[in-house]
Amino acid sequence: MKNAINKVRNIGISAHIDSGKTTLTERILYFTKRIHAIHDVKGKDGVGATMDSMELEKERGITIASAATYCEWLGHEINIIDTPGHIDFTIEVERSLRVLDGAILVLCAVGGVQSQSITVDQQMKRYKVPCIAFVNKCDRSGANPFRVIDQLKEKLGHNAVVMQIPIGLEADLEGVVDLISMKAVYFSGANGEDVRMEDIPQDLLGEAIQRREELMDAASMFSDELTEAILEEQEVTEQIIISAVRRGTLTRQLTPVFMGSAYKNKGVQPLLDAVTKLLPCPSDVENEALDMDNDETPVTLTSELDKPLVALAFKLEEGRYGQLTYIRVYQGSLSKGDTIVNARNWKKIKVGRVVRMHADQMEDIETIPAGYIGALFGIDCASGDTFVGPGINLTMTSMFVPDPVISLAIVPKDNTSQINMSKALNRFSKEDPTFRTYVDDETKETVIEGMGELHLEVYVERMHREYTAEVTTGQPRVAYRETITRKAEFNYTHKKQTGGAGQYGRVAGYMEPVNGTEFVFENKIVGGNIPTQFIASCEKGFRQSIVKGPKMEFPVTGIKVVINDGASHSVDSSEMAFMAAARGAFREGYFRAGPVIHEPVMKVAVETPSEFQGAVMGLLNQRRGIIVGSQDEGPLCVVEARVPLAEMFGFSTVLRSSTQGKAQFTMELGSYKQVPESISEELAKKAEKEKKGK
Amino acid sequence: MIKKELILQNPLRFIGDETEDILPEGGFGAVLARAGVGKTSLLVQLALNTLLRSKYVLHISLDDPVNKISLWYKEVFRHLTKPYDAKKINKLWEDLLPHRFIMTFKVEGFSVPKLEERLTDLKEQNIFSPQMVLIDGFHFNETARTSLSDLKRLAKNHRLHIWFAVKTHRHEKSGPDGIPAPLLDVSDLFDMVIQLQPEGKKIHVITLKGKPGGSDRPALFLDPATMLLKDNS
Repeated sequence: MKNAINKVRNIGISAHIDSGKTTLTERILYFTKRIHAIHDVKGKDGVGATMDSMELEKERGITIASAATYCEWLGHEINIIDTPGHIDFTIEVERSLRVLDGAILVLCAVGGVQSQSITVDQQMKRYKVPCIAFVNKCDRSGANPFRVIDQLKEKLGHNAVVMQIPIGLEADLEGVVDLISMKAVYFSGANGEDVRMEDIPQDLLGEAIQRREELMDAASMFSDELTEAILEEQEVTEQIIISAVRRGTLTRQLTPVFMGSAYKNKGVQPLLDAVTKLLPCPSDVENEALDMDNDETPVTLTSELDKPLVALAFKLEEGRYGQLTYIRVYQGSLSKGDTIVNARNWKKIKVGRVVRMHADQMEDIETIPAGYIGALFGIDCASGDTFVGPGINLTMTSMFVPDPVISLAIVPKDNTSQINMSKALNRFSKEDPTFRTYVDDETKETVIEGMGELHLEVYVERMHREYTAEVTTGQPRVAYRETITRKAEFNYTHKKQTGGAGQYGRVAGYMEPVNGTEFVFENKIVGGNIPTQFIASCEKGFRQSIVKGPKMEFPVTGIKVVINDGASHSVDSSEMAFMAAARGAFREGYFRAGPVIHEPVMKVAVETPSEFQGAVMGLLNQRRGIIVGSQDEGPLCVVEARVPLAEMFGFSTVLRSSTQGKAQFTMELGSYKQVPESISEELAKKAEKEKKGK
Repeated sequence: MIKKELILQNPLRFIGDETEDILPEGGFGAVLARAGVGKTSLLVQLALNTLLRSKYVLHISLDDPVNKISLWYKEVFRHLTKPYDAKKINKLWEDLLPHRFIMTFKVEGFSVPKLEERLTDLKEQNIFSPQMVLIDGFHFNETARTSLSDLKRLAKNHRLHIWFAVKTHRHEKSGPDGIPAPLLDVSDLFDMVIQLQPEGKKIHVITLKGKPGGSDRPALFLDPATMLLKDNS
C-alpha cells in the first residue's frame, strides 16, 4: 500500500436502481485489472456481478449492502463503496455516504433523472459529497444524454457542465469527444480495452467547439487564471481547465458530466481518468469527530499519520471465516498488532489480520493509513463504532441511541426458520443499535423493535432473503407509555390469613409526576414503621408495577413514589408481603393520580417536488399532524411536521401514490405527548377486546 | 392566567396602542434595524402575542431555515415565561404551536403569486388560515413597490396584516421625515414603522410612523441580553 494521500480516492457510485451502476462498477474493476472476466448483473453464467455479494441482490439485480472494493488507476488507489440504490435502506446509505469523499452519480440516458435519482442526490447533498455525473446506457434506443443533462439542471438544481459529447447514439454509439483535449475517443478490442485518440469527426467539430466554450465559461468562474487566459486570448492548457473544473466540483458548485455505455464498454476509462483528476482525495475533505470529554463538541480530524488513531467501523459482514469489519481510518494509522480501543464501551482490542477487500475476495495488508479503507477480522463490534488510539476520547457518531418506538411480533414457520431467525436477529442487533429484540414473557413470541414500520419491514425481508428464515409478522404496535398528572396518596394494607403463615404489610405515602426520568423511589419512613429490611421489597413491588401500567398495561414513566408510613407484623410480615403491599398501594394511588397515555410523536420531514407540496400537507394534516413549516429549496420543497407514530402506518405507500413516487420522507422520534381523549378511549376499547380474545 | 399576564406584556401596548391589533386588515408594519440589533426578536414577540390570543401566524423567512426560526420562537418564549411554572409553560407552548406556520423561501424563489398559491392551498384544505403574516428578509429594491402592492392586495383579500423585518445599513441616508432608506419610496404603503437604534448598551425602540408614542410616554428599550422589551416606567 502506498502512502500518498493525494493519490487516494474513496468514492461511491450512486444511482437509481436500473441505471446500471453495478455493471459500471464491474467494468471499472475489469479495466483496472481487478477481475479478468466480465459477468452481467442478471447473468446467464450464474456468477453475477462482482460487487453484488448478497443473494437478494444477485436475484433482483439490485445492490443492498455496501461492499467496499479497491482498485488502481493511473497510479491512484481507488476504493469503491457500492452504495445501495433503494431508498428504504437508509441506514446503509447514510453510513456509506459518511465514508465517501466523492461520488459518481450514474444516470440513465433513456430514463433520465427519476425519483430515486432525486433521493440519492439529496442524500449526497446532505453529506456534502462532491460528485461527477455519468450518463450511462447511451447505446439504448431512445438515449438522449442532453435531455438528461437538462434534467440534472432543472430537477436537481446542479450546475451541470458537459465534458464530453457522444459520437453516434443508440446502436451507433462509437465513442465520445473529449472537450478538454478536443480529441475523439474510441474504444476497440473485445471488451473495449483499447482506447484510441483520434481527430474529431468533421460533422461533430462545430458542436464540440460550441460545447467546449460553454465548458470554459462555466469553469472560468472557479479560476482567475483561466479567466485571464480566455480574456487575453492566451493558450489555455488542459491543466488549467482541469484544475478550474476540479475546484468547482469540490465545492459542489459544478457537476462535470461524462457519458457512455458501461455495458458496451464505452466511456469507462475516461470516467476513471476523471475520478483521479476531479474528485477529492481524503485530505481535501474536512472530517469531524465528536469529543466525548467535552459534551460532544465537534473536532476536526487531520489525516496525519503520527496523530492518534480515529477510525470508523462502517459495515459488518458475516463471512465464511467470521465477522469482517469494514473500517475507514480518518486519522493516524491502524496496523497489525496494534492495540485499539472501541470508543463505545472502552474495550481494548488487539488487531489481528488487516485486509483490503475486493467484494468477496480479500488481500492481506500490514497497515491502513489515514484516508484509507480496509477491513479487520475477528473484531467484536457493532456497525458505527469508532476505534481510537489509547488516550483519546473521540467518536465519529453520536453515542445517543434513541429508544425504539414500534414493535412487531414475529413467529418462525418451522424449526429451521427458528434457528436461522435467531442468527439473523443476533446479527441485525449488532449492526444497528436502534434495532432490538426480546421474547415476550406472556405470549412467548419474539418481538422486534425499531424506529419505524419501514425499518422493521426491511429486517423481516432480510431475514427471509439472507437467512432463509420464514416468519409471519403480527400487527405493528406503537410503544405507548403511561404516566400520571397529579399528586395522589396511598395507604394500603396487604393482609392474608388463609391457613399456614399469614401475610401482613401496610404501605403508605404518595406518588407524583416527575420530569426527565422514568422512576424515582424515596424512603421517608421514620421510627421503623416499616422495618429497614423490607424497604427494598417495597421498592421492588413498585418497580414491578411500572412495567405494565394499571391503566392499559403500557410501561409507566415519569413517576416519583414516596413512602412515609406503614406497619408490619412481627410474624406475618415478609419480603413477599411488602412487595404485594407495594403493588396494591401503587394501584390504589395510581388511579387517583390522573393517569394518562402518552404516544411517540415523530419529527417528519417530507422532501417533495414543489408541485406536490399541497398534497403532502394534506396527507400530514389528515394524520393528526402539526405542520411546523415548509422550506422551499428550488425545485424541491421540504415539509416539516410533527405526527403521532400511530398515524404513520402505511404512510410511505400513500405518499408514493400521491406524488408519483417522487417524494420521500424521513422520521425520527420527536417526543412523547399525551394522547387525545378520543384516541385514548379507542385504545382502551381495543385493549379490552384483545383481553377478551386471549 | 399565565396567558393573560403574557398578553399584557404585549410590546405594542408599550409603544402606545391600547387596542389589540394595531394594524388593520391589509395593513403593513415594519421593524427596521441594522443587522443583529433585534428585528427578528421583536417580530417574534409580536407573533407570540398574537398566538397567545389564539390567532394564527404565518412566519415567512427568505434567509433562514425552518429550524432556525423555530429556535427563535423557543428562545423568546423561554425568556418571556421564565418566572412561571415549567410544566404549565410546556403545555402552553404545545397549545401555541398549531397556531404557527413557518414558510421559508430562497430569496430568488419568492414571489407573491407563489405565496398566494400556497396560502390558498393551505386555506382550502383547512390546514392553516393566518391572521398575521411576518416577512423576514424581503428585498426592498427598485422592484419592491410592485411586489408590495401585490402583497397589500393579498393581505386585503385574505383579511390579514403583514409585518416586515427591514435591514438598514449605516451608510444609507434617511429621508427628511426620518424614514430610513429602504422604505423611502414605499413608506406610503406602511401604517406603522418602528426603528431599533442601538444607543450605548441599550437598544432604543423608536416609532417613526403610526401611533405616536406621545411625549408623556417613557422611552422604550430592548434588553440586549434577552432582546425583550423593557418597561422603563
